[in-house]
Amino acid sequence: MDRRQEIVKQNEKNVEKTHELYEATPAVDIYENDNEILLHADMPGVVKENISVDIDNGTLSISGVRKLETEGAATYEEFSDVEYVRSFSVPQTIDVEKVEAELKDGVLRLHLPKSEAAKPRQIEIKTA
Amino acid sequence: MFTRLSDIDRMFGAMDLLRNKMDRLFSDYDRSSLSDPAFTLRSNSPRTNLLESGDTFEVQAEVPGVSKEDLNIKIQGNYLEISGKRSVETPEGYKIHRNERGSSSFSRSFSLPDEIDAEKVEAALKDGILYLKLPRSETAKPKMIEINTA
Repeated sequence: MDRRQEIVKQNEKNVEKTHELYEATPAVDIYENDNEILLHADMPGVVKENISVDIDNGTLSISGVRKLETEGAATYEEFSDVEYVRSFSVPQTIDVEKVEAELKDGVLRLHLPKSEAAKPRQIEIKTA
Repeated sequence: MFTRLSDIDRMFGAMDLLRNKMDRLFSDYDRSSLSDPAFTLRSNSPRTNLLESGDTFEVQAEVPGVSKEDLNIKIQGNYLEISGKRSVETPEGYKIHRNERGSSSFSRSFSLPDEIDAEKVEAALKDGILYLKLPRSETAKPKMIEINTA
């Protein structure tokens, strides 16, 4: 077999996946009260369509892809297209059906309501 | 002759491999600084891009969670200053588990390569990024000079 072919094949055989975009970790704030867990994440430049929020088996993963519209030559660039990725462990008591997400000014706000069973309950003592 | 050619191929193959490795080394290095949350936190000033196309400059700045009212843009000649403040309020009645997005005020100034026509500057705030379109002033534009025939 021709050596040249072998070399070409070797390149294709390279199974290691390289990401096309840089991955960045968004800064987050996490709050909690009796009813829900609140998560705020900075994702400047990401549009709603490019955000995905997954909850699977106790892991919440958020991912947002930023595609900037640029024209002209860059004199300097300090930020560029990026993929914001971060995952968290969430308690199983989160009501996955009722999770809500909103995006405003490049900040993603996630409301993770707790299921009824997990909410703290005050127990009344009956007098006999 | 054939063996020679294959030798050359192999050599180039090895060089490609090395180049790929070097590329990855640099991109990994970049990535580590980009993905480090501390990097984005400690630097108060927003990251910016400066683009140039024809007669306009475009400045983009990352300002997540900053409203239009909290941003100030000042232009004088070729001097541009972007300042503002970001307020992150803890919602009432919530316990804080993690607080990485701090309130901060920032200010950043630039000297642009040319003078700007301050009257025609357009600013837009979209998805946490500030876009500034800065047209060059007339005096800074190149002028054609006609040659008079004597």
